[in-house]
Amino acid sequence: MNATLGARRRAADRTATVLITGCFLLGLVPLVWLLYTVASKGWHMVVTSEWWLQSQRGVGFRDPGGGALHAIVGTAEQVALCAAISVPVGLLVGVYLVEYGRGTFARVTSFAVDVLTGIPSIVAALFVYAVAITTLGGQRAGWLVSLALVVLMLPVIVRSTEEMLRLVPDELREASYALGVPKWKTVVKVVVPTAFSGLVTGVLLGVARVAGETAPLLILVGYASGMNTDLFAGFQASLPGMINDQFVNLGSGGQAYGLDANGNRVPIHNFAPDRLWGAALTLIVIVLVLNLVARLAGRRART
Amino acid sequence: MMTGLLTVAAVAIAGCSSTSTTAGSNTGSPITGGAKTSAAAEVNCSSGTLNAEGSTAQTNAITQWINDYTKHCTGATINYNPTGSGAGIKNFTAGQVDFAGSDSALNPAKGEVAAAAQRCGGSPALDLPMVTGPIAVAFKLQGVDKLTLTPDLVAKIFTGKITSWDDPALKAANSGAHLPATKITVFFRSDSSGTTENFEKYLKAAAPADYTATPAKDSSQSGFVGQGKAKSQGVAQAIGSTQGGIGYVEYSFAVQDNLSVAAIDNGSGPVELSKNSASAAAAAATVVGTGNDLSLNLDYATKAPGAYPIILVTYEIACSTYTDPAVATRVKDFLAYAATGGQAALAGLGYAPLPASLQGKVLASINTIH
Repeated sequence: MNATLGARRRAADRTATVLITGCFLLGLVPLVWLLYTVASKGWHMVVTSEWWLQSQRGVGFRDPGGGALHAIVGTAEQVALCAAISVPVGLLVGVYLVEYGRGTFARVTSFAVDVLTGIPSIVAALFVYAVAITTLGGQRAGWLVSLALVVLMLPVIVRSTEEMLRLVPDELREASYALGVPKWKTVVKVVVPTAFSGLVTGVLLGVARVAGETAPLLILVGYASGMNTDLFAGFQASLPGMINDQFVNLGSGGQAYGLDANGNRVPIHNFAPDRLWGAALTLIVIVLVLNLVARLAGRRART
Repeated sequence: MMTGLLTVAAVAIAGCSSTSTTAGSNTGSPITGGAKTSAAAEVNCSSGTLNAEGSTAQTNAITQWINDYTKHCTGATINYNPTGSGAGIKNFTAGQVDFAGSDSALNPAKGEVAAAAQRCGGSPALDLPMVTGPIAVAFKLQGVDKLTLTPDLVAKIFTGKITSWDDPALKAANSGAHLPATKITVFFRSDSSGTTENFEKYLKAAAPADYTATPAKDSSQSGFVGQGKAKSQGVAQAIGSTQGGIGYVEYSFAVQDNLSVAAIDNGSGPVELSKNSASAAAAAATVVGTGNDLSLNLDYATKAPGAYPIILVTYEIACSTYTDPAVATRVKDFLAYAATGGQAALAGLGYAPLPASLQGKVLASINTIH
């Protein structure tokens, strides 16, 4: 009796282990596949110095050379402005909801954040387009992309801030109150530092969420193949924008052809796929590096 | 690093006489870079940024011009976003871009002419024909790389009256070819496109009995059966990856993917698509625009021997007067280059240059922009 029960339990345990490990490995397949594909097709662009130092100005899809600096700068600027707006607002809203929010206003705020989470990026982009361009008659520019990205980044930061603050044990707060520390000081000196690395992770998740966002770029700013550091005027490149631009000349993936002066078809080398994969890899690398840096910073701040 | 580049380039073209009006403009020396530009042309450079948007059909041409022009004029930056003729006109009239690329002239019936004039501060906008782009009827079919189609057959295929490659009517027109019993899959443009409008205009003019829809940029009323694909490259990719696929796409995109292109028989024998056969058809066009506006009326039903009839002429649409004179100079300088030195760069890209008679008119019109 006991022996059979033990055997059954062992079998169940074995089965569950195999199933869960199997699911885990299955889940890894697309991730590893994707990373391998992007890395293997993009690395030879990314390892050159010109990739990080030059723009695509004057470089056609048949011409070698050029880099992604214009796109990296554009993405960095747009995401930085977006983060500069979303991070303080998102953190404060998160703190409010966990530490102070009671009653109807808090419930409405929480509900609004839920609604924001579900807004597709294209809707955020069209909203900004309708307000800034159709209604106010503005010009398309990089900062409008940042505004649309705020709509996407804000709920991510609010939600993760909430989660992280809720993880802080109430005993810490109570200990602080017991020492006669006012509530605001408890939040600033006890709760937030305790949750700091989690908050940083949340912010980075937000950055990662918006850095590869494409819909606002297509609607709110034109793509420039040269360098434009001005967020507030003119077309501006970005890494997703560059991927989209290279896609125009991608061809069917096989040998690309052009015409010679007599109109005969001749094989040519099409650089668009290389640049497309290069830009994709660059985007992944940048988000990854940001992630690592923040994790290190978070770890150091805690100890 | 940018400064270094600029200095080197400025030294390289120093010593040229200056005729442009904007500060910091350089003039002069023929563009020698770019293997496709053989004809020497005087190029006026003006510094600053121009933003343009529109037709995907002229992407490869205008990108080549921009690359050659900005290599020569290092102070100039020109951006062109291939988002489709409809989007180009929309963003031009909304004041979002300095000029538009479009495969169709502004349409007065849709209020485009009035809206553009309003954007240009009351002065009319100009339709400037700049490139002849042959539209290829491209297909992919195992074992078949040569195909002759008449306008009736093209219309019947695209409207779903012929659904299989071994249809007797197709066999009759292609006696030598072995046509398999593959299903025909039609691809057309799903986005607003001048290519669609010109292709429909051709069908309407050359096969009136089989094609009755009203030509429009939007393909929703076209009566085409099959799948809509976004942008020229979307259609080309779809054809290339579909056995039995057929679609209309601007020639350079068909070349890039090495798609087979049908010869068109408008009544005087099959005509293969080439830069010369497309130019021959463009020469039959008549200017219908008034004043400096050069919108064209193409003769799609032409029976001229050796003329490939399915062409589009892609325009740059610019203001005749800009509120900012610096922008006017930039537009003028770039378009003047495109209409002169730039034309030589087209042959290798699958476009046909402007007929000489038209080129003179275009240049004269560009020179009135201020």
